[in-house]
Amino acid sequence: MSAQHAGQLAAAAALLALPFGLSDFWVFISVEVLAFALYAVSFNLLLGYGGMLSFGHAAFLGVGGYTAALLVKQSGLPPALTLACLPFAAMFVSAAAALIIGLFSVRRVGIYFAMLTFAFQMLLYAVALKATPLTGGDDGLTGLKPPGFLAQPRAYYYFALALTAVSLYVLHRVVTSPFGYTLRALRANALRVQYLGVNVRAHRLAAFVVSGAFAGLAGAIFALVNGNVFPGWLDWTASATPIVMAVLGGTGTFLGPAVGAAVYVVLEVLISGRTEYWPLMMGIIIVILVLLMPEGLTGLWRLAMVRRRGGVGGVPLSTRESR
Amino acid sequence: MLELIAQHFAWAQNPVVLARQTLAGISNGMLLFLISAGLSLIFGVLRVLNFAHGALFMLGALIAVSTAALLADPLAGFAAALIGAAAGLALLGAAIETNLLRRIYRAPHEMQLLLTFGLVFILGDAAKIIWGREEHSIGMPAILTGGAHAFGLVFPLYRLFLIAAGVIVAAGLWLTLYRTRWGIFIRAATMDREMLSALGINTRRLFTAVFALGAALAGLGGALAAPVVAVGPGLHAQVIVDAFVVVVIGGLGSVLGAFIASLLVGLVNAFGILAFPSASVVLTFACMAIVLIVRPRGLLGTIE
Repeated sequence: MSAQHAGQLAAAAALLALPFGLSDFWVFISVEVLAFALYAVSFNLLLGYGGMLSFGHAAFLGVGGYTAALLVKQSGLPPALTLACLPFAAMFVSAAAALIIGLFSVRRVGIYFAMLTFAFQMLLYAVALKATPLTGGDDGLTGLKPPGFLAQPRAYYYFALALTAVSLYVLHRVVTSPFGYTLRALRANALRVQYLGVNVRAHRLAAFVVSGAFAGLAGAIFALVNGNVFPGWLDWTASATPIVMAVLGGTGTFLGPAVGAAVYVVLEVLISGRTEYWPLMMGIIIVILVLLMPEGLTGLWRLAMVRRRGGVGGVPLSTRESR
Repeated sequence: MLELIAQHFAWAQNPVVLARQTLAGISNGMLLFLISAGLSLIFGVLRVLNFAHGALFMLGALIAVSTAALLADPLAGFAAALIGAAAGLALLGAAIETNLLRRIYRAPHEMQLLLTFGLVFILGDAAKIIWGREEHSIGMPAILTGGAHAFGLVFPLYRLFLIAAGVIVAAGLWLTLYRTRWGIFIRAATMDREMLSALGINTRRLFTAVFALGAALAGLGGALAAPVVAVGPGLHAQVIVDAFVVVVIGGLGSVLGAFIASLLVGLVNAFGILAFPSASVVLTFACMAIVLIVRPRGLLGTIE
C-alpha cells in the first residue's frame, strides 16, 4: 500500500469517526463544511480548470437550496421518497438554471463573463425577493428540517458525507477525463483549442452546467442543516464566497478549494463568535491572501515541501498561465 | 380586463405624477452617474472592476455629514461638505491605488476582484467603527429647499440642483477627457496601456490620478446624496449594485455610456415602482440581462 493510499484511508476514517468526537453544534458546522467544500470544488471546475471566473455562482447554491426547501415543505411526499428525490431534484433544477444562464454567459470570457453571471444571479435574487408566494420573499423559507430519521444531526452528517463524497468522486472523474483535459487546454489557450476543431462554447457550457448542478446539490445539503433559505443566499456577496474559498485553498489543485472552504467556515465560526467585526477580519484576510499568498494554502504547503527536500524556494510553483 | 389595465396605468395621465417621477428618475440617474462614471473610468484605464466603489460613495456621504456639522452656517457647511468629501476621497483613492491596487495589475482577474471585494468589508467596518451603526442625515441649505413652480406644477429645488450638478460634472469630465493633455493620456490608456507607457508617459502616476478622480467623483456623489438618502452602514450595498447595472448597460469603460445608462436606470426605477410596484427590482436586472443578451458589450462598450 502506497503512502498516498494510506493517507486517503486515514482521511476517510477520520471523516467517518468525526461526529463522535464533536458536540451537536460542531456536527452542524461539519455539515456546513461538507456543503461548502462541494460548492467551492464545483466552482473551481470553472475557475481552476476552465479559466472561467463566475461571479454568479451563488445563483446555483440558491436555486438548489430553494428547491430542497420547497421539496421538504410543499411536496407532501413521504420522508423516504423526499430524501431519495432531494439530490436529483436540486441538481436537475440548478442544472436547468445553469443551462439557461450558461447559454448567454459562455459567449464571453474574462471579466465580461463574470459580469454576465453576476447579472443573472442578481435577476434571480430579485425574483427570490419578490416572488413571495413561492419563495417567502424577504423572510425566505424557514423551519426546514431533514425529513424522517435524518433529523438527528449525526445521521444527517453521514447523509451529507455520502452525497459529498460521491459528488467529489464524480467531479474528480470529470477533471481527469478527456473533457477535463480539454477544459485545461481551453484555460491555457482557447484559440488554439478551437483551431484543433473543438467546439469551445459547447465545452464551456457543459462545464458550467456540471458545475451548477453540483453547486445546487451543495445548496440543498446546506439548506436542510441551516434550517432556512432566504434571498441573501443569492446576493452578490454570496457569489464571492466560493472565490475566496477556492483562492484560499488554492485553485491549482482539485481538493484545494475544499480545504479553503473548511478553513473559511471554521474561521467564520471562531471569529464571529468573538467579535462583531468578522467582515473586517475577512477583508484583511482576503487582502493578505491576494498580496502575499496568491497560491493559497495548498501552494504554501507545496512550497514548504519543496524547501524541506532541499529545493529552491520561491520558484513559481503554479502551472497556471495568466489570463 | 382592459379597464383593469387602464386603471392600473391611470397615473400615466396624471401630469403631476409624471413630472414628479421624471424629475426623481433623472436626478437619481445623475447620482448614479457620479458613481458609475468613476467606476467605468477606472475600469477603462486600470482594467480593474472596483467593487469598493459603493463603499467610497458611502464614505463620501459620511464625511459630508461630519464636515457639515463643523460649520454653523448651513450653506457654508453644505459647500464644505461637498468639497471635503471629494477631496477626502481623492486622497483615500490615491492611497488605495499606490498601496494595494498597484501590486495586482498583472494578477489574474479573480485576484483583482477579491482585493477590491476585501476592501468593501474593510471600509464598511471602518465606517461602522468611526461613525457608528446609526443612520445620519444632513439638512439641505435653505436656498435649495422648497420647489420651483412652472407649468402649474411644483418641482423640488434640490432635485433640480442635483440634475444641474450632474450635468456640470458630466461637462467637466467631457472637457477633461477631450480638451486636456491628461484627458488624451486617459483615453489613450483605455486603448493601449503598453503603447502609452512605451511613448514615455508616466502611466503609474496616471493610474493613481485616475483612481483618485474616480474616488473623488464617488465621494462627491455621496455628499450630494446625503440630504436625500439615509446615510448609514447599509448604503454602499444598494449603490454598488445599481452602479454595476449602469456600467454593464452603458458598456464597461465608456463614460458617455454610463451617462445614458444612468438616466435609463434612474427612469426605469422611478416608473417601474408605479407600473410594477412589487417587481420594480426585477425590472432593472431584467433590463441589464436583456441588454447583455442583445448587445453583450453594453450600449457603448468596445469589444475587448
